[in-house]
Amino acid sequence: MTSDVKLLDVNNVAIGIERRKRETLVLVREANFDVNYGEMVGIVGESGSGKTMICRSIIGTLERRGASVIGGEVLFEGLDLRTINEAKWKTLRGKVIGYVPQSALAGPNPVLTIEKQLAEALSQVEGTGSMKNRSKELLDLVKIRRVDTVMKQYPYQLSGGMRQRVMIACALASKPKLLIADEPTTGLDVTVQSQIMELLREIRSDLGTAIILISHDLALVDEVCDKIVVMHAGATVEVGPTSSMSKPRHPYTVALNSSRIDVAKPGGELITIKGNPPSVGQWNPGCRFAERCDYVQQDCLVGDHPALSGKKGEHQSACLHADKIGKI
Amino acid sequence: MSKKAKTPRPDGTLGTIIGSGMMAALLLAGLLIPWLGKYDPDEISSDQLLSPSSTHYFGTDMLGRDIFTRVFDAVFVDIGTAFAGVLIPLTVGTIVGTLLGISRNRRVNSFIGSLIDGINAFPFLIFVIALVAFLGAGLSSIILALSLVNWARYARIARTRAVVVNQQAYVEAARTLGYKPSRILFRHIIPNVSSETRAYALSDFTIVIIAVAALSFLGLGVNPPQAEWGAMIKDGANIITLAWWNSVFPGLAICWAGISVAVFSEGLTKRIGEGNQQ
Amino acid sequence: MSKRDVLMEVENVSVTFGSGANAVEAVKNCSLTLHEGEPIGIVGESGSGKSTLARVMAGLQPPSAGQIRFRGDNVFKGNKSFQSGNRNQVQMVFQDPYGSLNPQLNGLSAVAEAVRIHTKVGKDEAEQKALELLERMGIGKLDALKKPRQLSGGQRQRVSVARALSANPTVLLADEPTSAIDQSAQAQLLKLFLGLLNDGLSIVLVSHDLGVIRYLTKRVYVMKDGVFVESGDTETVFNDPQEDYTKMLLASIPGELGKAARAKLKK
Repeated sequence: MTSDVKLLDVNNVAIGIERRKRETLVLVREANFDVNYGEMVGIVGESGSGKTMICRSIIGTLERRGASVIGGEVLFEGLDLRTINEAKWKTLRGKVIGYVPQSALAGPNPVLTIEKQLAEALSQVEGTGSMKNRSKELLDLVKIRRVDTVMKQYPYQLSGGMRQRVMIACALASKPKLLIADEPTTGLDVTVQSQIMELLREIRSDLGTAIILISHDLALVDEVCDKIVVMHAGATVEVGPTSSMSKPRHPYTVALNSSRIDVAKPGGELITIKGNPPSVGQWNPGCRFAERCDYVQQDCLVGDHPALSGKKGEHQSACLHADKIGKI
Repeated sequence: MSKKAKTPRPDGTLGTIIGSGMMAALLLAGLLIPWLGKYDPDEISSDQLLSPSSTHYFGTDMLGRDIFTRVFDAVFVDIGTAFAGVLIPLTVGTIVGTLLGISRNRRVNSFIGSLIDGINAFPFLIFVIALVAFLGAGLSSIILALSLVNWARYARIARTRAVVVNQQAYVEAARTLGYKPSRILFRHIIPNVSSETRAYALSDFTIVIIAVAALSFLGLGVNPPQAEWGAMIKDGANIITLAWWNSVFPGLAICWAGISVAVFSEGLTKRIGEGNQQ
Repeated sequence: MSKRDVLMEVENVSVTFGSGANAVEAVKNCSLTLHEGEPIGIVGESGSGKSTLARVMAGLQPPSAGQIRFRGDNVFKGNKSFQSGNRNQVQMVFQDPYGSLNPQLNGLSAVAEAVRIHTKVGKDEAEQKALELLERMGIGKLDALKKPRQLSGGQRQRVSVARALSANPTVLLADEPTSAIDQSAQAQLLKLFLGLLNDGLSIVLVSHDLGVIRYLTKRVYVMKDGVFVESGDTETVFNDPQEDYTKMLLASIPGELGKAARAKLKK
């Protein structure tokens, strides 16, 4: 489904927290990507890369943490999300934009039965049929068997994978146009992970929901997403269609790709990225990956962090020497 | 136009500085004023019930004693008693609670556990008053009574926390590394349990300061002529309309002490919260 | 030094929790052998009993039936383990990086404590050794002085490994060491383990991710509901899995390996 208006357009977005003494701590320096209707976009990065903050700017929960968008724009179907008030957010959040949190950190309300959770999510939306039937349909959608049993259970009686499915079901209650899944499978077994990925894929193809999948696992994102956004130290360093990302053009992506366990020889050399991801706010001048980069040059260490080359929709890279990288 | 973030996160450092400053000032005054002041705290004179003036800053009491000197003479008595009344239950309660939390002996666990729950069921002050009345008036009785009642409150907190700590991987790691049980208990388990009981102790301190004064007010505290805030308030209670300064100034001292601890602990809580948010 | 020296034997071990109607058999009659120079993997989903088995091997949980032996000696006498002084030989790295370190101690103190207990040297020497060990694990001096909450998951795991190594063990049990950390931190940790293997340490790796197992181990045991359903050389089990369950596990690995396994399944 092509349209001139993109579902989501994140343009040069910067996010910061105002600290005392009027200093602003910049958490995200420059995020740049877009999401088309029905597209599955993966955002990959280490902790501290800013991927969760961007997530929060799209569902409007930045303020609660004292942060705000300090630059750029977040356009949802053309609407600038920075300008809307809380009342408007309520019509978007949980309705048109859905959110599934990290499985280890959050989950269904422990004191409500699954039936009540779903009813709560469904009560926000209009629909036909009884609440019970609609709830059962949702559980069906996320491929939960023994629906009648599960409806009456409490979250503690379910496995991690089942709880995540329930969270996805709640998010889908309103048939959102955009679903944000923030590390939905981190901490879960690989078998459960692959089932949930399969589920997300089906949701995308059957319901046409666009999905933003946030992960630290490049192999995972590579398999299911149409487009990949790579974040490092608060900036988008590479973005492009998955097919062309197999030939990465930024040293960070190259390193992430090479450190994948699924492509390593058993007992053989495993390429790792030097050092640790820079802590939030402790960013050096020049390119923030320079310290850990295998191809670093002199001009990488000075000036501003490099901007993304090319246009949105193409394979863009924030490396000053991107063309040389392609040849390695 | 982007919406500004509402409030910058609160800073706890100011609280800890103000709180500790207030307490330090009080303690310093309690040390210096009785020693260097013009009057002796127990010096009786014929200048009875004089209102506050430049010669007697806080006025004098029924026996002509200078209230200013007496208020500060009482500092170490009140605060010292309160301190002991918190430190002893804190230590005993933390250790007993921790041992209970890590013990697998069901009988001991249920016996002492019931004891703890039983003691905690009583309203604190009433129980303490009853004990002090039984033991006979005096500061040592107050400390003893506070200890006998309060240890259970600390033990309950410690026990719950110890159960959690005991299951943490770092405790298992210590066992795998072959550390002796005493080392594991004192270096790994208790420090992580006492972080919670110490936090409780800080808020308890405020209450105990007031409790000590209250017990003295009821006549269960010090023997005269020792100056003590609660007793001083009692002495001034009957003449409050005539000579308000007898009760008000010791009362303000209690407030000052309590507020300093409360402000300090608020500030500390905020600072720890900030640290955890990073 | 025979490469086939038997280091540890797990013989018909069962572990039952609870009693009567509430009894749960987490491990049912499992046996395995750890040879020197042959790292093994135990793979299974949550609830398979693999962590329980690892804890039994580490001497933290007595088996309800069966024997564990380290170099021929029984590990457990009654409920107590490693009474004959071999306690330091078998060490463990735990899954949760957030609970593995005492929150009150910085990396240096935690490792130095272990060094002092095991080598009986003075405080300064212990700290020096600890710094060296941490350096080998990729934790610099600045990071060594940080408290756990200031470190990332990957860094915490590496401090845990350093601490375990202070005991100079022959066997290191790693229970899902990479499950809770970033992909890049995973790669760093696995590279570290490879280095340790090459230095002569014998590793038992417990994981739900066959990709990780394949990278590090020579022999694998597939565990389901407390039982070993398949076992063999890692490469063989990988290329030619016999059991359906193993095939399913292989198909779930993210990335290329999983794709290949899924393609085979469809045939």
